[in-house]
Amino acid sequence: MRRDDGGLKKRMQNRTSGFGNPWLQLALSVICVFVSELLLKRGATDVAEPDSGWSWTGVNGLASPLVWWAILLIIASFISWLYVLRYIPLTIAFPLSRVVDILVPLGCWIFLGETISTLRWCGIALVVLGLALVAKPVAQIEERL
Amino acid sequence: MSFLAFFFIVASLLSFVVAQIVVKRAMEFSASHGFRSSQFISLMIIGIFLMTISFFLTLGLLQRFDLSYLYPFQGLSVIMITVMAAVLLKEKLNLQLTIGSLLITVGIVLVSLS
Repeated sequence: MRRDDGGLKKRMQNRTSGFGNPWLQLALSVICVFVSELLLKRGATDVAEPDSGWSWTGVNGLASPLVWWAILLIIASFISWLYVLRYIPLTIAFPLSRVVDILVPLGCWIFLGETISTLRWCGIALVVLGLALVAKPVAQIEERL
Repeated sequence: MSFLAFFFIVASLLSFVVAQIVVKRAMEFSASHGFRSSQFISLMIIGIFLMTISFFLTLGLLQRFDLSYLYPFQGLSVIMITVMAAVLLKEKLNLQLTIGSLLITVGIVLVSLS
């Protein structure tokens, strides 16, 4: 067994429940990232100046209030993420956090009535399958405790 | 895609991936040495600095390209971080996790292409 396993098990046993649950914090972090991505795209598009060389640095994006809201959400998600990293290995936490990549198209389908092509459904199915594979070791860790 | 665009996409991706590894290392230190250890503080500063660079580069790219165009590159971060965490942080990586991460990466690319 490698170095991380013993430490992880101990930390999982010491973890707090309720709001301090690392899985809940992971979910909160994902929701904050999901909303901030949409705000960033809207904000960046609102103030886009593709002709200016400085705009490659993205600094002019700060002119949009939406970008500032997104920054607040990113800070919130970062704090949750730091908490998650204390308890869950990166090899498990990071792939799970990418559930946000299917939340965006699914959100467009459910709330905005956009259509999803067959290829996109295939992509979503692959992500779900990948998430299930990554999440299985998590279930085993929980079972052992 | 111009060379400049490619350069900024790679720079944004790499700074993000390295930042995640550094921050994870910092949080491991905090678990064993507390939040006041100088190693934790310096690692966290480096991690936040790299994340800030990645954030502004992404913001610059979003002004020029569609989110759907940039997403496949973000998808690559899953497999890059999984492999780097296993190599640099010595996290346990089995076949199941590797296949899972690969499927997520391919899935994200397919979602963006469609």
